[in-house]
Amino acid sequence: MARKVSLFVPCFVDQLQPEVAVDTVKVLQRVGCEVDYLPEQTCCGQPAFNSGFWNEARPCAERFLRVFKDAEVIVCPSGSCTTMVRVFYPELIASGSAHEEAVLLGKRTFELSEFLVKVLGVTDVGATFPHTVTYHASCHGLRELKLREEPLKLLRGVKGLKLVDMLRFDECCGFGGTFATKFESISVAMGEQKADNVAVTGAEYVTAIDPSCLMHVQGILGRRKDRAKTIHLASILASEA
Amino acid sequence: MSSAAQKFLQDAAVKSADLVHREIIRKNMESYDAAHLRGRSRFKDWEAARRRCQEIKREAINHLDRYLLQFEEKVIAHGGHVFWAANGDEACAYIRDLAVSRGVRTIVKSKSMVTEEIHLGPALEEKGIKVWETDLGEFIVQLRNEPPYHIVTPAMHLNRQQIRELFRDHLGEDIPDADPQKLVALARRKLREAFFAAEMGISGANFIIADSGAVAISTNEGNGRLSTSLPRIHVAITGIEKVIPRLVDLATLWPTLATSGTGQPITTYSTLVSGPRKPGEADGPEEFHVVLLDNGRSGLLGNAEEREVLHCIRCGACLNICPVYRNIGGHTYNTTYQGPIGSVLTPHLRGSEFQHLSYASSLCGACTSVCPVNINLHHHLLHNRRDFSYASGDNAKGRTQFKLWRRAMLNSRLYVLGGWMMRRGLHVLYGLGLAGTAADPLRAWSRKRTPIPLPSQSFRKMWKKGLTQKNAVKR
Amino acid sequence: MERIRAGLQVPALEHADQNSEAQIFETIQNPLERFQQECKANLMECLLVEGQAASAQTLAQVLQSLPQGEIYVQDSPGLRRIIDAAGTKRAVRWSSEGAPKESSQATVTLADALIAQTGSVFVSASCGGRGASVVAPCHIVVGLVSQLVPDLETALRNATAEQRLENNSYACVISGSSRTADIEKILVQGAHGPIRLVVIVDTKA
Repeated sequence: MARKVSLFVPCFVDQLQPEVAVDTVKVLQRVGCEVDYLPEQTCCGQPAFNSGFWNEARPCAERFLRVFKDAEVIVCPSGSCTTMVRVFYPELIASGSAHEEAVLLGKRTFELSEFLVKVLGVTDVGATFPHTVTYHASCHGLRELKLREEPLKLLRGVKGLKLVDMLRFDECCGFGGTFATKFESISVAMGEQKADNVAVTGAEYVTAIDPSCLMHVQGILGRRKDRAKTIHLASILASEA
Repeated sequence: MSSAAQKFLQDAAVKSADLVHREIIRKNMESYDAAHLRGRSRFKDWEAARRRCQEIKREAINHLDRYLLQFEEKVIAHGGHVFWAANGDEACAYIRDLAVSRGVRTIVKSKSMVTEEIHLGPALEEKGIKVWETDLGEFIVQLRNEPPYHIVTPAMHLNRQQIRELFRDHLGEDIPDADPQKLVALARRKLREAFFAAEMGISGANFIIADSGAVAISTNEGNGRLSTSLPRIHVAITGIEKVIPRLVDLATLWPTLATSGTGQPITTYSTLVSGPRKPGEADGPEEFHVVLLDNGRSGLLGNAEEREVLHCIRCGACLNICPVYRNIGGHTYNTTYQGPIGSVLTPHLRGSEFQHLSYASSLCGACTSVCPVNINLHHHLLHNRRDFSYASGDNAKGRTQFKLWRRAMLNSRLYVLGGWMMRRGLHVLYGLGLAGTAADPLRAWSRKRTPIPLPSQSFRKMWKKGLTQKNAVKR
Repeated sequence: MERIRAGLQVPALEHADQNSEAQIFETIQNPLERFQQECKANLMECLLVEGQAASAQTLAQVLQSLPQGEIYVQDSPGLRRIIDAAGTKRAVRWSSEGAPKESSQATVTLADALIAQTGSVFVSASCGGRGASVVAPCHIVVGLVSQLVPDLETALRNATAEQRLENNSYACVISGSSRTADIEKILVQGAHGPIRLVVIVDTKA
């Protein structure tokens, strides 16, 4: 009996990086899940929440609860959006029955690598990716969801993939949501240092579990015409020989 | 936007592009990182140490009245004086009047962030009293007429040549090879004159201990020792939140503070002062005064969510780890307390003019992961943002923008339309080569990065067209 | 104070009870060995001797290595005997005469305790006063192995029990010579305090 999984596609993945979601579906199907996508979903509310507009974020959270009410298991290819649901929804919806619902929803919402390794117990998803890859530990996944080993286990399970360590792999890339534009100079400086560390490894690709990090780092790599390219973990896992 | 915010953005832009500065900070932090890791390995259970420190501070802050009164009682019983200062002006006035009435001409000071907070130096200097900063880093920035760059390493941004030139111009002696050993020896000689001449020594306090009526002062240089041993008057000024219940609590706090601050197992001179010299003692000050400063801290006490911010032991670890701090440096903050703790604290102590600091963060959470007393710093930044967003006036534009955003997000059709329009619009704009120009709404992105990707189809569209469905459940 | 009380009226946030029983530091099996290791790391000189005569001899040797000049010594019967036995020709200023002079080449004091965990000497006003451990370029501590405690916790508990801060206006845990890293993070010894800290430990006492 196939595992039923409901896809939570972050709004910016839906609009700007749809290939991440496409590859997420591919991977989940390959490991035997039945993937459903609820088209009513919009945004988890993180932009408003991080900017301090909790009154604007709260209706989004409540809507999210309604949309995903009947989903057994929710999987999301983003550490920051998963964090929003699991860590911050209970704080945002602080009381009442909706608070309880939010807590329970958080318990059945997973980031992709977390779902594969911790829930399904799978580290080899049958992928082939014969390239050198370095890993950037996105902040939310690392510090809020405590995902340290899961993405690395999956990367090590990919045929042909050569994993190289990056200096300060756990230092923030500088995206930070609206921080990227409101504090452009600092964001770019942080991104440049991340790009420097990527370049030192000589890797062809830098990967992470958060598409927003990768969009920002790609912006810097592209501007500098560096050799390395960004690729989301889902896309590596979806690759076949 | 407040003028402080505008200045911040300008300074940040200059500093974060300054590659020389970036390299100096990188080297400094690399050495700190290594020392810090070594320091942590000396603990059997570092996380247990953090929890214990958190508990000690929590107990102290949650019973602040009781412990402060106990402290005061004991200090007075030992022959000392305690002055409760509601704000910086009261504290400065007390110390200034004390100095004037005792005929003080020279003061030696060991490091105290609180004295920066209340601008004590100028208050004393306008009475013609010479104040010498004795911590080497503070001494250096004092000569440059600059505020400290970092709460633990005030002159981190300078190299030996700059310090050599500074000493040559201000102390009248040149060290041609700028050897740090010789530079330190020169500073030692000059400051010794001050130590032995001064009538008053001013110190801060890392902790004030309730069960002993004592003030704990940690230095590596020994300047805290000399400042509190030689002059005939010792004034210790401290925030009210520095209190801890028991002397034995230092068994955990001292090593954890030292490890977090510099990676050392313990600071070289961990001093405890409980009063003026007692009869029979060979030396020591005749008078001992403790100034307890509020200056907005009791306000934080009354804020249940933010109260734990008062647990801070001023170790500097959050500054050291913060990628924002590493890029913009300490001076850009333009506040007494910098880095993550400064960003959390300053709006509460000094008002909404500094609220921009709460936003100048990617919320990476590294600060929280190193705080030795487990303060949830990055979550407090979120709370600051929340409180500020709905305060009247300042954020009307942001509120309106997000009200519109919300309308779109609550209606999937509006969301789809909005998303499509954004992609189409930017596609046209960028096709005309206008990325990064004044016409580009995302120019703050496109100026220094390749523009955001603009796919022709959203994932939603692709799914609807059946491009990704194989075993998918049909709706 | 009223403001503080008002602030405290607001109830504290609830927090989960932590596991307070976890051991924070490794138990120290061999305190003397640990003390020696830490002294070395702290750039202190730790000299083990056996008996008072040996202490005096070692003290004499250390004094010989210093430039000419007066020394300042804590006035205690034990130190009077040791200074006598050391047979130094230097001028001695005793702590009973007052504060140490700036020109002192060295100070000699006892300690209240020695702490193995951090390689520290715990001194107080009873050990010759405040200046005795910072004014001169060399501070010599004459200690006994019976004063050695394994860790800070024990040392501070003892200090509390003995009311050390009631009986003394000052105390200090000293873990090394004076140093600074304020210039380019390069460690330089002898900032404001002593460049040398020597601890003589009589293992027979």
